[in-house]
Amino acid sequence: MIISVASGKGGTGKTTVAVSLALAAEYCQFADYDVEAPNADIFLKPGIKNIKKVTIKHPYFLTDTDKDFSGCAKFCHYNAVAVIGTEVLFYPQLCHGCGGCILVGPEGAVREKDVEVGEVSKGFSRPGIDFLEGNLIPGSMRTTTVQNELEKMINRSGLVIIDSPPGNSCSMVMSVKNSDYCILVTEPTPYGFNDLLISMDVLDSLKIPYGVIINRDGIGDTVVEDYCNAQNKKILLKIPNDIEIAKCYSRGGTLFDYDKSYKEKFQKTLEEIENSIFQ
Amino acid sequence: MKICITSTGSSLDSNVDPRFGRCPYFIIYDIGSDTFEFIENGSRQSMGGAGIQAGQVIAAKEVSAVLSGNFGPNAFRVLQAANIKMYSGVSGIVREAIEKYKNGQLVETSSANVESHYGMGKNS
Repeated sequence: MIISVASGKGGTGKTTVAVSLALAAEYCQFADYDVEAPNADIFLKPGIKNIKKVTIKHPYFLTDTDKDFSGCAKFCHYNAVAVIGTEVLFYPQLCHGCGGCILVGPEGAVREKDVEVGEVSKGFSRPGIDFLEGNLIPGSMRTTTVQNELEKMINRSGLVIIDSPPGNSCSMVMSVKNSDYCILVTEPTPYGFNDLLISMDVLDSLKIPYGVIINRDGIGDTVVEDYCNAQNKKILLKIPNDIEIAKCYSRGGTLFDYDKSYKEKFQKTLEEIENSIFQ
Repeated sequence: MKICITSTGSSLDSNVDPRFGRCPYFIIYDIGSDTFEFIENGSRQSMGGAGIQAGQVIAAKEVSAVLSGNFGPNAFRVLQAANIKMYSGVSGIVREAIEKYKNGQLVETSSANVESHYGMGKNS
């Protein structure tokens, strides 16, 4: 069973919730899909056991052969290749590594080489959490390539918790697309509400069931709660706006360090989700 | 000799568009015959690399100079490879920009003057 934790707005508490779920479950796989800025390791403190490099193929052009490469430029949907006369210009930051230019270019004159875009790490965290994390090289655009590598390591026969990056674009879709259930974390503010609606739209399109956790309950307004009640959207939990939680977080502590009773609350949430999936 | 001006419209009375890769039209003006043609910029809506694609289109037109508001680093590389001179900071009516060029009042730019993605709307 895969449960993903996502949020349109950043900084609403995705990692706080995902970490709490993992610790409440005690035995699970945890995957930090926020490869541009992974941070769940701060709270789960896994001992990283092995690291694997993630690479993509970039083309290089043997231009001393006097062949016509203009087909490569015409083919490239991302404009990563430009051909001016006999000169070939390659823009690595635009290349998606599809290999198309090799197929349409002069035979044998377009070659491939491996380019590193990031790495995936594997470790173990107490009590029984298999920890996975992706790290994208700063400046690289290949977020979903690194996430794809994480996906290969997921074992959905047990419980899997996926911590999604913020937003509602490709990298979020990659994080939630295989889940049996998604938890949307939000804060009760106009910004949080606006981005929550977009997330709901994404999940409705993907036909993934979801529920809402309202974090920093007490700030802002009641618009999120009113909407959820009116539209029959499940509110799984509310976490209060308490400076002590922030203090605890900034020391690398979890919600359970702040208040032990959260373990039981999250266990109940997990149970509720399981029941709603297998009803 | 032909020059290219990035334009908001299809006539010489249109305004110079400040973006190279994502301008709506290119005016290709022939100085010798005082005639012009316009081409719609098909790269305008591309996801990325608009300047790279537009640069190749302009290079194929065999112009010797491009007048625009700004050139990003990707477009700059293409136009430089095609030996096309670039004049940035050009604004106002296309017709007047051509006059300034003829009178030698424009200064050739030797490097890209904006970052990638300038023309995608965040700055204008």
